[in-house]
Amino acid sequence: MAVRKLTLEALARVEGEGSLELSLHEGKVETARLKIFEPPRFFEAFLRGRALSEVPDIVARICGICPVAYQMSAVHALEQGLGIALGGPLRLLRRLLYCGEWIESHVLHIVMLHAPDFLGLPDAIAISRDHRAEVERALTLKRAGNEILRLLGGREIHPINIRVGGFYRLPTPSELSALRDKLEKAGQEAVALLRWVATFPMPDCERDYEFVSLRHPSEYPMNEGRLVSSRGLSCLPEEFDAEFEESHLPHSTALYCRLRRRGSYLAGPLARYNINFDRLSPRVQSLAREAGLGPSCRNPFRSILVRSVEVLFACEEALRLLSLYEPPEAPSVALPAIPGEGHAATEAPRGLLYHRYRFDREGTIEEARIVPPTSQNQASIEEDLRLWAERHLSEPEESLRDRCEQAIRNYDPCISCSTHFLRLQIRRR
Amino acid sequence: MSTSWGSSGPRSVLLAGLGNPDRGDDGFGPAVLARLARLSLPEAERIVCARPLDLLDRWPGRRLAIVVDAAMGEEPGRLRRLEPLCQGLPRPTACSTHGLGLAEAIDLGRSLGLLPARLIVYAAEGLDFSPGAPLSPRVAAAVEEAAARIAAECRG
Repeated sequence: MAVRKLTLEALARVEGEGSLELSLHEGKVETARLKIFEPPRFFEAFLRGRALSEVPDIVARICGICPVAYQMSAVHALEQGLGIALGGPLRLLRRLLYCGEWIESHVLHIVMLHAPDFLGLPDAIAISRDHRAEVERALTLKRAGNEILRLLGGREIHPINIRVGGFYRLPTPSELSALRDKLEKAGQEAVALLRWVATFPMPDCERDYEFVSLRHPSEYPMNEGRLVSSRGLSCLPEEFDAEFEESHLPHSTALYCRLRRRGSYLAGPLARYNINFDRLSPRVQSLAREAGLGPSCRNPFRSILVRSVEVLFACEEALRLLSLYEPPEAPSVALPAIPGEGHAATEAPRGLLYHRYRFDREGTIEEARIVPPTSQNQASIEEDLRLWAERHLSEPEESLRDRCEQAIRNYDPCISCSTHFLRLQIRRR
Repeated sequence: MSTSWGSSGPRSVLLAGLGNPDRGDDGFGPAVLARLARLSLPEAERIVCARPLDLLDRWPGRRLAIVVDAAMGEEPGRLRRLEPLCQGLPRPTACSTHGLGLAEAIDLGRSLGLLPARLIVYAAEGLDFSPGAPLSPRVAAAVEEAAARIAAECRG
C-alpha cells in the first residue's frame, strides 16, 4: 500500500487546533476525519460544586469569540430550573446583547477570515490593501457589535454583567441613545457588506442537509424557541436527549452529536436561515433576494452570504429593540431557593448551543452539560470534506489542501485549544 | 478589551497590555499595566486588551502608543524593546483564531491609516504559558523594569 502523507503546518483563520486526515483509494475519498480538541468537557466537570450564580462568569470563559452565547444558554437553563422566565425589558436587553455578539463574531469571520478564500488573497492584510473601504466597513460594524457588548456586558470579551435573573447594572438612557446612533450607521454598512459579499464567485456545491435550529413563534431565533429540523423534528430543549445522541470516536476529543435514528445534521447560520426565512423582516428578505439568496440555500460556501444577511438582521433588530425599551424597575429578579434542573438552547453565531444543569436547594451545581455547535457540526463538516475533496482529487495537493481549508472555514468552527495548528494528512493508496 | 463603563476621552499616549493573566507568562502585559496604574502619567490612557485587532480603534491620533506583551523566547524575563514601525515585527505562526495577532494588527493599521505617530513594543520572553499558572519568577522580576522604562518613555 503506497501511503502518501502530507502535513499542513497551519490552517490559519480557524479557531484553535484540529487536524484533518483524508484517506483516498481509487479516486474516492474513503474517510475524512476531522480531529478536534474541545475544552467544554472540562468545564462540565469543574462547574460541579460551584454556585449557580457563578455559572455565567465561568462559562463565558469557554470562548473568547462567543461568550454571550454560553452565558445566554446558561442563564436560560438555570432560570428554567428555578421556575422563572424573564419577560419585558430584561428579555429585550438579552436579545440586544446577543445581536451585538452576532454582529462582531459574524463580521470578523466574513471579512477577516473567510473573504480571503473567495478573493484569492492570502489574508485580511491583503484585503485591506485591495479593498480598503470594505475592511474599514468591517471595523465599523465590529465596533458597533463591541459597543453593545461593552454597554450591556461591561466589557467586550467575557462579559461580567450577566447574572441569573437579569443583569447587575442597567444601561442609562444616554448610553442607549449613543448606541442607537452607532447602530444606525452600522445598519447602512451592513447593507453595503452584503452587496459586496454578493459579488464573490461561489463554488457550485449543494448538499441535502437536515438543518436544525431554534424556531420561535414570531422572531428570528436567538434566545428561545423549539428545536426544529427541516425534516420534521420539533421538540423542546428539555427533550434534547430523546432526539439527539452524543458519541465519542477515537480520533477526536470532541463528542459527535447526531440526531437519533437519522444521523448528521447541520446547525448554524445556514440552518437558521432555511428554517426561519419567514421570520426575517420584509426588508431583510428583500435585500437577501437582491444578493441572490432565496428562502432556501443548501450551498455551504454561500454561508458567508447568509452570515452577511444575519449581520444586517442583527443591526435592524438591535435598533428595533432599542426603540421598544423601557427601563425595568430593577436590573434583576429575585431567585427562589429551590433545587431544580433546567435545559436551554440558544443560537450561538455558529449554531445551536444546548445547556443542562441540575442544582440543589443551596444553588450548588450538581451536574452540567454543554453541547456546543462545533461538535454538532463535526460529522457534517466531514461529509462536506468527503464530497468536496473527491471532486478535486485530480488537483495538485496544495490546491486540494486549500479547498479543504475553505470547506472547513464555511462553518466558522470554534476548535479552541492550547496550540493552534490544523494538520492535514492525505493518505493515498 | 477590558474597557468598562465611564472611560475618559482619548489622550495623547496609549499604554496597552496584551495577554491573558490566567495563562502564566502571557499575563506579563496586564501585570505591567497594573504596575503603571500606580504611577502618575497624566498624558497616558491605560488599557488591558485581549485582542490586538481592537487596538486599531485606539491608536489613531495618538502621539505615542506603547504595547506590552509576552513573547516566545529562549531567555525567560529578557525584555525586548521594539519599534515595529521602523524595524517590523516578527510574525509568529498562526497563534489562534479568529486571532489576528499584534503583527497583523500593525499591518492592518498601516494599510488603513490607523497607526499612532510612534509605536513601541515592550515584550518579555516567557517560559510557561500554562492555564492557571502565575508569572514565572524571572518574568515577574521584569515587570518593575518594564514599568519604569515605559514611564520614562511617557515622560520623555
